[in-house]
Amino acid sequence: MTLSILIWVPLALALASALLPGRLAGRAAVVWSAVALAIAISFLARFSSGVAGLQFVTDDVWIASLGIHYKLGLDGLNVALVVLTTVIFLAATVWSAFRQWERPRTFYLHLGLAESAVLGAFCAQDLALFVAFFDLMLIPFYFLTGMWGGEQRVRATTKLVIYTLVGSLFMLVGAVATGVLASGQHHTHLTFVLSALHALPLSHSSQVWIFLCFAVAFLVKMPLVPFHGWLPDGYKAMPIPAIAVFSAILSKVAAYGFLRVVLPLFPYATVHFQTLMLIIALVSILWGTVVAMTTPDARMVVAYSSVAQLGFIVLGIFSLRTQGAQGALLQMVNHALVTAPLFFIIAALAARAGGSEKLADMGGIAFRAPVLATLFLIVTLATLAMPGSSNFIGEFMILLGVFNSKLAIAMVASVGVVGAAAYALRLYIRSMHNRVGPSVSSFEIRPGELLPLAGVAVVILVLAFYPQFGLQRSDATVTAEIGAVRLHSQSVYAQRGPTSNPPLTASAPQAAIGGTNSGSNTP
Amino acid sequence: MSTTTFGWLILLFPLLGTVVIGLGWRVWRGTTAGWLGSLAIALAFASAVGALISLLGHSPDHRQLTSSLWRYDFTAGVDANLSILIDPLSVFMALVVSGVSTLIHVYSVSYLDSDRGLNRYFAYLNYFVFSMLLLILAANFVLLIVGWAFVGAASYLLISFWYRRTTATSAGIKAFVINVLGDVGLVLGTFFILRHTHTVDFLKTFAVAPHVFPHNSTDLVAGCLLLLVGAFAKSAQVPLHTWLPDAMEGPTPVSALIHAATMVTAGVYLIVRMHPLFEIATTAADVGAIVGCLTLLIAATIALVQTDIKRVIAYSTMSQIGYMVMGASIGAYSASLFHLMTHAFFKALLFMSAGSIIGAMAGEQSLDRMSGFRRSLPFTFACFLIGGLALSGVPPFSGWLSKDDIIGYLDNRGGGFLALGIAGYVGALMTGLYTFRMIFRAFFGEPCEEARELEGGHLAHHEAPYNPANGELEDTDVGFPGPSHHIAERDWRMRLPMATLALLALVGGLIQIPGVDNVISKFLAPTFAGSRLYGLRAGTGTDWLGLIVGAAIGLIGITIAFRIWVAQPGTATRMQQRLPALHRFLLRKWYFDELIDALVVRPAQWLGRFTGSVLEQGAIAGGITGGTTAAVRAASAAVRRAQTGFLRWYAALMLIGISGMALYFLISAA
Repeated sequence: MTLSILIWVPLALALASALLPGRLAGRAAVVWSAVALAIAISFLARFSSGVAGLQFVTDDVWIASLGIHYKLGLDGLNVALVVLTTVIFLAATVWSAFRQWERPRTFYLHLGLAESAVLGAFCAQDLALFVAFFDLMLIPFYFLTGMWGGEQRVRATTKLVIYTLVGSLFMLVGAVATGVLASGQHHTHLTFVLSALHALPLSHSSQVWIFLCFAVAFLVKMPLVPFHGWLPDGYKAMPIPAIAVFSAILSKVAAYGFLRVVLPLFPYATVHFQTLMLIIALVSILWGTVVAMTTPDARMVVAYSSVAQLGFIVLGIFSLRTQGAQGALLQMVNHALVTAPLFFIIAALAARAGGSEKLADMGGIAFRAPVLATLFLIVTLATLAMPGSSNFIGEFMILLGVFNSKLAIAMVASVGVVGAAAYALRLYIRSMHNRVGPSVSSFEIRPGELLPLAGVAVVILVLAFYPQFGLQRSDATVTAEIGAVRLHSQSVYAQRGPTSNPPLTASAPQAAIGGTNSGSNTP
Repeated sequence: MSTTTFGWLILLFPLLGTVVIGLGWRVWRGTTAGWLGSLAIALAFASAVGALISLLGHSPDHRQLTSSLWRYDFTAGVDANLSILIDPLSVFMALVVSGVSTLIHVYSVSYLDSDRGLNRYFAYLNYFVFSMLLLILAANFVLLIVGWAFVGAASYLLISFWYRRTTATSAGIKAFVINVLGDVGLVLGTFFILRHTHTVDFLKTFAVAPHVFPHNSTDLVAGCLLLLVGAFAKSAQVPLHTWLPDAMEGPTPVSALIHAATMVTAGVYLIVRMHPLFEIATTAADVGAIVGCLTLLIAATIALVQTDIKRVIAYSTMSQIGYMVMGASIGAYSASLFHLMTHAFFKALLFMSAGSIIGAMAGEQSLDRMSGFRRSLPFTFACFLIGGLALSGVPPFSGWLSKDDIIGYLDNRGGGFLALGIAGYVGALMTGLYTFRMIFRAFFGEPCEEARELEGGHLAHHEAPYNPANGELEDTDVGFPGPSHHIAERDWRMRLPMATLALLALVGGLIQIPGVDNVISKFLAPTFAGSRLYGLRAGTGTDWLGLIVGAAIGLIGITIAFRIWVAQPGTATRMQQRLPALHRFLLRKWYFDELIDALVVRPAQWLGRFTGSVLEQGAIAGGITGGTTAAVRAASAAVRRAQTGFLRWYAALMLIGISGMALYFLISAA
């Protein structure tokens, strides 16, 4: 079984089930997303943990004249994310299947297209293919927001389109330039295959501006401050299954892009911009935390907590330490597993608070809904990365990585950990506890709320006992990649140092990646 | 069974209890869940006894055993397994925790008999005991932090148990956030240590620490200070103590178990567990000793004027833990643990007795309203008196031997430590004073209305229950406080645990009498085999001199209390009138809450509002979004006709992009 089957099954089956009557569309969607999960698990089961390189590779020439290949593969960076994608899409389709939608067949078809595109982006091992999937996955979300969204959906969709479009254009330019310049500078045939590009390092000046192109695209998509202008309207307008998938998975494609594309292809620029990226991440953590602590809207608490969490993920990646990157990968999984259920929970809260998502209209919901309260509590504690959750291990590794490379940033970032406790508990207490809100009429959890929530909660609990499950699968790949980035940048400076740079600046980049820190744990 | 199997069983039973009670929340009727929970903890206690017996079967050199189940966080230089460490220290702690917990579970069955949240309560309580035991048995930093945070979460859940009370939920979030601050301290402290030791395992860390850390090395001092932040947050040491008095919002058995006997002593355990590090980082150890000393004095002064009976006991707890933190920091390990044990007995007893009075007072906790319960609650009076005498350090009660064990060690180390020892005596004087202030005000004098009613044979209760803290009408949906909520010493399920603890408070100290048996310090010796401070002890004669001085000071405190509140009533009021500023200062608890509010809480909220409104609206929505939108509109205006619709722009721009790309390749290929 090749990865192509995994990628295209959701779209193919969604297309096929569009032939069925509309009332069966929901059930059909559950079936195709369950099939995708089963296929993903079969790949996970066959995945060998100790191997750093690609497994299950599919490599066909797609556009020969441009050197674009249809190349797919799994390694430690994406294996967990692929399984995660299928889990979250299953939860989203189960959630949707219990509800009525206008034009259901089109709705589920968009979800199927989204899942195929996301899986494609995760598996793509060719830069042009990655860009194609990256842009493809946005299209269903424009429709999902524009056609099934809440109030102000037109404004939200416009903002979303403009932001992501600008980001995509930057990335398109960056991708084209990478291929063309790499082949030009090394006088070889044009290629976009990542492993081939890896062997054709770009000149430093090219790396710098191409890095910025990719960074803008990825930072808009996550989003991090100050690229999050579309977030408040966009998050408010998207329908629940779309926002659950978007916040859980699409933001991770962007973070994954840094690890898959940026770090291996632009190691010089990565080191060059390390501090800038760490500061963007740090600002996002603090910004997201303080807004989440004060916003009156339950959905916005989750939205801004995502900004803070993605800040942590980027922090881990740009610590340029194995610990940080390992933590970031684990945290991508963890964050997706808490943010998707949180949106389902907000829908459940709104259903009990007269349709309002304002915290002021909630309160005291726990009493008649003990199961909902318990599941919400588990998700809340995982969100605030309480030790004992897998989220804690993610944050622990991220902070350890940053600590080993930039101690002061780790210290400041840990303020975000304390803040997370404040905003997550605030959300929980204001909605579930305290006095009964004016328009609240609480009732016990219903099957359509329970199934997706409990399913994801089980995954959260299992990972809490055994986070090593994720860590050990990414260990080899991450160690190799981070080692390569650091080795590459160091050797470049060692070569260039005496001739083109004065000795003082030659040692500075060493310090920039923490070379002076003798206490590093990285082998 | 091997020793470590007992260790895993200690953890397994409370966890099973939580799961069984939690999943069966619809099944268990009446007090079934309470008995199930008590059984689970009793089995944990039995396993701890098993571990003790099994451990004593090993030779003293081989009494540090680890066992691990599977890899937990084992990557990139971190080597955390799911592993436990069984040594005399962890077994001692496990015995104290599971033993006292069993008694308090039984007490709770009665105390929460009529509460509608009984099943939830016992699921939480078992989860707490599991967390505390995990904290104690953890064999590495990562698992320690897990237990550490679980304990904080359990504490939050139980403080906010009556979750319709806004006072309870705000106390809960305060406790949780301060505890998370402590967790972060622990995490960062671990980083500083891990950086040099390259292991998170305790025994490996302690083995390499003397080789990688020079005396008072900067990183180790920083690491140990951060560990102390964790210890201070959990053990309510200044300035991270403000959550503990508020935590009294929880049900009284919770105060007895978590906020007196077990969780708040975790900081002491941490310092003792980390003794090989603190002995190298002596600067950090000194900071710990000074903060402990300040806490014991500050808390004692506040306890002198508070009127809420539970809060007086809470401040007393803070003060007593101050002694333990001070002792643990300067090397009086066995003395601190000894005091930890006796304090667990007599403080849990005091809380249970207070719960009995509060029951009789229909939920009222103010000392101003209580008086003359001596005849109507004779059993509670006897228990409270025993607990009070032990707390004040009167011979032969347990607190006398244990507190003076700490002070004696300080005096013996001399120098600056002598000053700490003298501060300890000042604290002891105030301890006698505030303890007997409570006793004289609650039990002596003219019986209050509720006491008279009780003498007449029935319990007082209000028509409509009010929250005494803010006057809100209670929401009895979540169980507080059902009419038969007030049992007040009538029930054997309350009397049995109280009697047991009273007995322990009376004789519990006898296992560690200087020059006679020294059971605790002998048993714990293998844990401290490498310590240079453990063996430092004065001769038996000096120890006894200290005990005599301590006893005298405790008795003086009690005598003063007697003169103020019994012999010459009105003295207290006169003193308040003469020193109004001091009285207000102490009544407002040294203004710590106001200070934290002004320095942390309000700036954070202001920053949130500022970011949410000014920055989001102005800079992001106005500047960046506006600018980008304008740029895109301008660009797309060139290609679109009058029609609107974003998808057309997108298609158009994609087309341009792709054509541009193709053009570029054509040119570059040519």
